[in-house]
Amino acid sequence: MIDHILTLLIFFPALAAMLGFVVTKDSMRAYGIAVAGIEFLLSLWLWYAYDPMVSGMQFMESAPLIPAFGVNYLLGVDGISLFIIILSTFFTLIGIASLTEKRRIKDLIITLLFLEMTMVGVFAALDAIVFYVFWELSLVPMLYIIGAWGGPLRIYASVKFFLYTFTGSLVMLVGMLFMAYFYYQATGQWSFSILEWYRLILPENFQLWLFVAFFLGFAIKVPMFPFHTWLPYAHGQAPTIGSVILAAILLKMGTYAFVRFSLPLFPDASVYFMMPIAIISIIMIVYTAMVAYAQEDIKQVVAYSSISHMGVIILGTFALNVEGVSGSVFLMLAHGVVSGALFLLVGVIYDRRHTKLMSEFGGLASVMPRYAAIFGIMMMASVGLPLTINFVGEFLSLLGFYKQSHMLTLTAGTAIIVGAIYMLSAYKKAFFGNVTNEENKNLKDLNKTELVGLIPLTIVAIWLGVYPKPVLEPINNSVESVIQLMHDKAQSEEAKLRIPDLSGKNGTNTMQEAN
Amino acid sequence: MELYLYIALFAPLVGSLYSALFSGSPKSQQVGIVASGLLFTSFLSSAILLTYVMSGHTVHVEMMTWMATGDLYIPFGFVVDQVSVVMMMVVTIVSTVVHVYSIGYMDHDKGFNRFFAWLSAFVFSMMVLVMSDNFAGLFIGWEGVGLCSWGLIGFWYHKESATWAANEAFIMNRIADLGMLIGIFLIYWNVGSLQYDVVFAEIGNLQPVIITWIGIFLFIGAMGKSAQFPLHTWLADAMEGPTPVSALIHAATMVTAGVYLVVRSNAIYDLIPNVGIFIASLGAFVALFAASMALVNRDMKRIIAYSTLSQLGYMFVAAGLGAYWVALFHLMAHAFFKALLFLGAGNVMHAMHDELDPFKMGGLRKVMKGTFVMMTLASVALAGIYPFAGFFSKDLILEVGFVEHHYVIYTVLLLTAGLTAFYSFRLVALIFHGEERYKLFGIHPHEAYKFMLVAMSPLLVLAIIAGSFKMTYFQLVMNLLPATQYHVHDQTTYWIMTIGTQLFVIAAILFAYKKYANWSNVPDGSSAMERSFFYKLLWNQYYIPKMYEEIFAKPYAELSRIAWKQIDLKIVDATVDAIANGIYKTGENTRDIQNGNLSTMLRWMVVGLVVLSILAVAFTVGYNAVGA
Repeated sequence: MIDHILTLLIFFPALAAMLGFVVTKDSMRAYGIAVAGIEFLLSLWLWYAYDPMVSGMQFMESAPLIPAFGVNYLLGVDGISLFIIILSTFFTLIGIASLTEKRRIKDLIITLLFLEMTMVGVFAALDAIVFYVFWELSLVPMLYIIGAWGGPLRIYASVKFFLYTFTGSLVMLVGMLFMAYFYYQATGQWSFSILEWYRLILPENFQLWLFVAFFLGFAIKVPMFPFHTWLPYAHGQAPTIGSVILAAILLKMGTYAFVRFSLPLFPDASVYFMMPIAIISIIMIVYTAMVAYAQEDIKQVVAYSSISHMGVIILGTFALNVEGVSGSVFLMLAHGVVSGALFLLVGVIYDRRHTKLMSEFGGLASVMPRYAAIFGIMMMASVGLPLTINFVGEFLSLLGFYKQSHMLTLTAGTAIIVGAIYMLSAYKKAFFGNVTNEENKNLKDLNKTELVGLIPLTIVAIWLGVYPKPVLEPINNSVESVIQLMHDKAQSEEAKLRIPDLSGKNGTNTMQEAN
Repeated sequence: MELYLYIALFAPLVGSLYSALFSGSPKSQQVGIVASGLLFTSFLSSAILLTYVMSGHTVHVEMMTWMATGDLYIPFGFVVDQVSVVMMMVVTIVSTVVHVYSIGYMDHDKGFNRFFAWLSAFVFSMMVLVMSDNFAGLFIGWEGVGLCSWGLIGFWYHKESATWAANEAFIMNRIADLGMLIGIFLIYWNVGSLQYDVVFAEIGNLQPVIITWIGIFLFIGAMGKSAQFPLHTWLADAMEGPTPVSALIHAATMVTAGVYLVVRSNAIYDLIPNVGIFIASLGAFVALFAASMALVNRDMKRIIAYSTLSQLGYMFVAAGLGAYWVALFHLMAHAFFKALLFLGAGNVMHAMHDELDPFKMGGLRKVMKGTFVMMTLASVALAGIYPFAGFFSKDLILEVGFVEHHYVIYTVLLLTAGLTAFYSFRLVALIFHGEERYKLFGIHPHEAYKFMLVAMSPLLVLAIIAGSFKMTYFQLVMNLLPATQYHVHDQTTYWIMTIGTQLFVIAAILFAYKKYANWSNVPDGSSAMERSFFYKLLWNQYYIPKMYEEIFAKPYAELSRIAWKQIDLKIVDATVDAIANGIYKTGENTRDIQNGNLSTMLRWMVVGLVVLSILAVAFTVGYNAVGA
């Protein structure tokens, strides 16, 4: 069974979702929790069985799909994807367990389980076509969640979300087809295997064009400035569960794809575009933080803060050294946990008051102390306080990029200031002061269902902030092999210089050897 | 000894978590007692460690790995050496006193349990800050104390001014923390490690320009925590917090973290004397600048806060001039008498029902004998009268300035010493002497609980005798810090200086008494002095807070609104929608082509045929013309 654990992880929720159609409405919730729970345990088993000392792909599975064109059902995990898979199963479980939605709960849970399949599929796929299929499939359940359970503008928001990201992915698909064609030209065989693509050394001008094609698909997904405007609408209209999954997992597909595709496939282009991308990241960090500060709706504050944090992730990724890339992968997880929790928390108050405007609140700390405490912890994690999960990622990402540019890092470092500004002022508006609004006087504090979701997230946010080693170590090992691969493949002088050579270090082996 | 290290470090954390458990439930006295007990345990362990360190040992432990990736390796490592043990003693003594005192002070507060959770968490963070053996660990504590300071300044969160001050403090500190973070990055990429021992051993091999930048960036961090100009405005506003918080955090411990950082990094600052001169000059400037604002202020706590600011300036003068042990010594002495002064002010506030204007008090010595004695002695110590603590530490800094030939700094500090004496005794005179002006406001003051006064007494004793530790202390820290003795060699000059300073300070005290001890009315802003330009300038803190508001806060908010409403919605998003609409409209307008009507379709076929023929002809002609 362990040999096929990835297939199991992908298709078990899908199968369970099909069976879900025959489950009665009353027991659907329990069924959903059970399925997501088993799936989560399976992913933990994957972690348990994963050998952290091996940097390459593990649990690989392969089956031919279209042999003539080299399309294979190829799966595998390494330290980079392992934890994002666990994060996906974890959040699906938490999302279903703390679900407060009353309308058509059966359909919602089935949709979520389908979504889980596509998420795990994206992160486990090692074949570009399989990756692309899951990537696009993930749009459908999310489109449905926003469109069916969303707010008043849900149709506009969901269509915008779908079309925008879909357009980007099409350009990416063209890039993938060209990669395969180039592989055919070079070797006489078709292949869509990412691992085989890794071995190709592309001429620099090809790299630049392909990099841009992939970049468009990823950048819209992340979303990077100026392609980010679909996100506030999607978050604004999505139900709590939709926002949680969107922020925690779906956005990570873009940043994950940068590490999986752009970096190792196009090392020279990555160096070539390093500075422009860093500048975009800085715009994301500072500009969206300012926009977040101007918001009146607390959910929009969290939504824009997501974009701001994604800027730090991108910056870390394009540091192109072990510290920065490990940091950015870790920050993907951290941001998932923290922003997911923040959206859950916003959902709590929305359920009670059916408004998200901060001017409607004020003084909540005295009415809902437990809520205020957990919100406070998560806010501090979001601000990047040491010993919380975000700090590790942010610190390493910035540290990594500092090697590449002092001035840009100094500018990007303002993330810790502007982040504090919008978060603290939002917290002050909602939680501090006197209770002025009559409707807030008798609000109930967190109930059991809500605590079930929030307490594990709080524990994780602090545990991984104090002791990140179990997660950081496997990430580090896999990232080292990616960086080494990039260094070996790099052709231009600058790229050789910018991407460190780790071959002198013990225990580092290239990805080819590991395969 | 490792056991004692862990007890000293983690006892406050246990106390904090224990109190946090009760933070949702109504006030229970035992929470305060347990938290204070654990703090006392921490103090005892620190004392044991002190005796151990005094016998020539140090304790160094590595608890576990924190972050490790690439070449970066950061453990949770702690070191008890000659410098950190001094800080540990200061922190645990003052915080134990403040904890016990708070049991009385917060007696009637609904947030009693929550208060102790925050206060003990602060002590834990402070212990991490001083005990860590690397810069990253220091940064944990650094941010941790910032967090607790935020929570405690805004402790009474229903007050707008309190939460505003809390956010201001946090954000301003964050600005400085960015500098510190960059300093840490610089160290890592140039040395390859963040461990103190490695960094200080290797630092000499770096290029001077890099060492200079490291020194500057670390000092920017120190400027935030220690509220040096221009990042000073948060400290006075932080007085919104409960008074025990002001005593512990904003006088004795947290604000001195910046001084500690410079002292700890003496190996770095020794190599860059120019940065040191800058630090000393800034320190001297802040000393005078803050003291001048204290002259006219009418808020008891703010006056003491400005005096803290001023004394921090003194410490930076010493640290900047390379007299690290003197800076640390003044830090210690200052912690004792300043905390005492604040706690005394807390008693007065309680007695006066939270009235802060000393002009509305007067004559309180009759009802508050204990507090009167303590605050007077604390002020004497602050003024630096022999044989109190301030004399030994503060006069030493003056001597350092003199011996190092920085006569401008010396003169500024001497002048400040006079101002310090004046405003301290202006405060004492207004509160405790003169007519009982509080009667106008119908207040019936009463002395604080007995045990609060008893709790304060260790600080009183230390404020009086701390100076006598000087030689023992010097023997201790000279193992780690440059052991320069600062003596004015010429005996005559020495005596003239010492006695002259004493006379000058005493004259300032007497002047303050003469002017304020018989004060009888509450000023209403109509007197000639209150309308003078200088008074207004000082009263408005040189208009700096207002300037920050106008230059930074408001434009930032305005820019944010523009970024959202104009740029994000009207440019970026509108472009996306325009593209989508363009495509949609094109489809809408061309759907006639496919409307299924045979005659229309035939017509379009003809159009297509014509277009294609024209293209074909044009292409052929063009192709032949080029002649390829």
